[in-house]
Amino acid sequence: MKVWLLAAMAIALSGTAARAADPRYPDWPCTQAKVPEISLAAVWAGPPLDDVQNKWKDDARISALVAKLSARKTPLEEAEKSVKEYLAASASDKTTNAKLLFAGLFDTLNAQRSQVMLGLERVSRKQREAADKIREETLELQALQGVTPRDEAKVEALSNELIWKTRIFEDRHKVVRFVCEVPTAIDQRLFALGRVIQQEME
Amino acid sequence: MQAEMSDVMRRSRSRDGAPPLPLAGEGWGEGISTKKTPLEEQALSRIASLDAMRPPPQAGEVKQARQQLQRIEERRPLHKLMLRLSLFGALALVAAPAHAFIAYVSNEKSNTVSVIDTDSWTVTKTIKVGQRPRGIDFTRDGKFVMVAVGDDDTIQVIDAKTQSVVDSLPSGPDPELFAQDAAGKILYVANENDNTVTVIDLEKRARLGDIQVGVEPEGMTISPDGKTLINTSETTNMAHFIDTSSRQIVANVLVDARPRFAEFKHDSSEVWVSSEIGGTVSIIDPKKHEVIGKVTFEIPGLRKEAIQPVGIGMTKDDKTAFIALGPANRIAVVDVASRKVTKYLLVGQRVWHMAFTPDEKYLLTTNGVSNDVSVIDIVAQKVIKTIQVGELPWGVTIAP
Repeated sequence: MKVWLLAAMAIALSGTAARAADPRYPDWPCTQAKVPEISLAAVWAGPPLDDVQNKWKDDARISALVAKLSARKTPLEEAEKSVKEYLAASASDKTTNAKLLFAGLFDTLNAQRSQVMLGLERVSRKQREAADKIREETLELQALQGVTPRDEAKVEALSNELIWKTRIFEDRHKVVRFVCEVPTAIDQRLFALGRVIQQEME
Repeated sequence: MQAEMSDVMRRSRSRDGAPPLPLAGEGWGEGISTKKTPLEEQALSRIASLDAMRPPPQAGEVKQARQQLQRIEERRPLHKLMLRLSLFGALALVAAPAHAFIAYVSNEKSNTVSVIDTDSWTVTKTIKVGQRPRGIDFTRDGKFVMVAVGDDDTIQVIDAKTQSVVDSLPSGPDPELFAQDAAGKILYVANENDNTVTVIDLEKRARLGDIQVGVEPEGMTISPDGKTLINTSETTNMAHFIDTSSRQIVANVLVDARPRFAEFKHDSSEVWVSSEIGGTVSIIDPKKHEVIGKVTFEIPGLRKEAIQPVGIGMTKDDKTAFIALGPANRIAVVDVASRKVTKYLLVGQRVWHMAFTPDEKYLLTTNGVSNDVSVIDIVAQKVIKTIQVGELPWGVTIAP
């Protein structure tokens, strides 16, 4: 009985994974609209960054700082403080350093965000496959149970497998909902750090 | 058991084997509206109001203290220094700058209202309110703050002295935004869900009637003479002109897609209506009921669809307008005469609404995604401060 309930639930759940809001991104599992990339102008009103592109990687200090500031484990407040301290110590190179730092953050956080979004879509596809499989096996189990004489060992084995698969499916489903918040969290971090950098440049 | 099972199977394999519809509550979330039991919420806000936190000094108190000091100084100039010294401690506590105003910000997702002191630019209190607070406005006498709590189908009233919820007003279902007449006696509420505008007597706090309007009423404003109410409808893309005495629609003006907000020029000569999807602000002649001009926006490097005008603020001299551009994260500064953008100010993420301080020195904007409020210095046309508030700040109002 429990197996059936779980299986039915899993099948019902799979429907949500398949319900895509934006037809352009059929695998996108989140309610949050998918914005594939952050455009520079949405987060930066400072001087053009054309002349510093990629150069941030050549500066060891800046690339180390970019790595630290981009990590979600660094609290935003601490990250903002580091930006201020770094730029305050920059003196005459302040504008260049600020531009390099932001170029680095923009590249890194945008890449991080794309990776998370690709991951979400990959999981979404896997979930759809898993749901199909669960549905198939549920039918199989139903058939097995209808056969007389019943092969109890086989029924038992398939039941257990279904319970596991359903549980994995549900866990992933929950995780996806949390991960859906991550792209926005990255947007917020990039914007907040960009704003501090621009304020420090003024 | 078999019958029961196949029933479940049949239900979950409906529509030619297509994945079935999600179970209730198992979707990917339907936006941010999360109804809890209203009773539980009300109990919580009651508890919050009992929590007798001392309110921050009101604008009047500071002024009063200064006047007292001045009076004493005038009378006894010889003891000036002595008095200064003895009063110094007391005055330091009430903070010195002259422009102490109190701003209230509705946080749509955290179901709270943040109270901001414009001297220190800090949040001095967070008030627990009903679910999904959006439209927010002071009563004209400055004694109360009204906040539309859409998911509780009401408008709550906050006492500005005690900074706690004391009453509610009878709106229709899902109130979003409202407007009051110049005298502060009549309140017009846009109810998003049943296509009506509710008319409320503010003194009696009683419902006077309803006006049927277009689908999904949203923006609301009243002409300075109080005779015309403008209501925008998100779905039909119209600005409805309503005669406030007959409560009948007298004209419909087509604007660009998804009109969100309407604002009169103080001299009544024009109504500005923002279109979120259309990406423009239409300027309407309120006598002829015709669109006579448009403000358009262009930000290098930003896609057109990222520019979504919503909130509009106009200085009292009708010279400068400020328009919030949503996910463009900017406020456009517009020269009203030429209808051209003169500057874009990067504020916070998804900026929607705004309010001026009464002295028009500052403009506060609500930034929904970065969860903060930006403070713009009007003269310098610069962002001078960012204040973290609750989640998804929506509207803002400042004590008159």
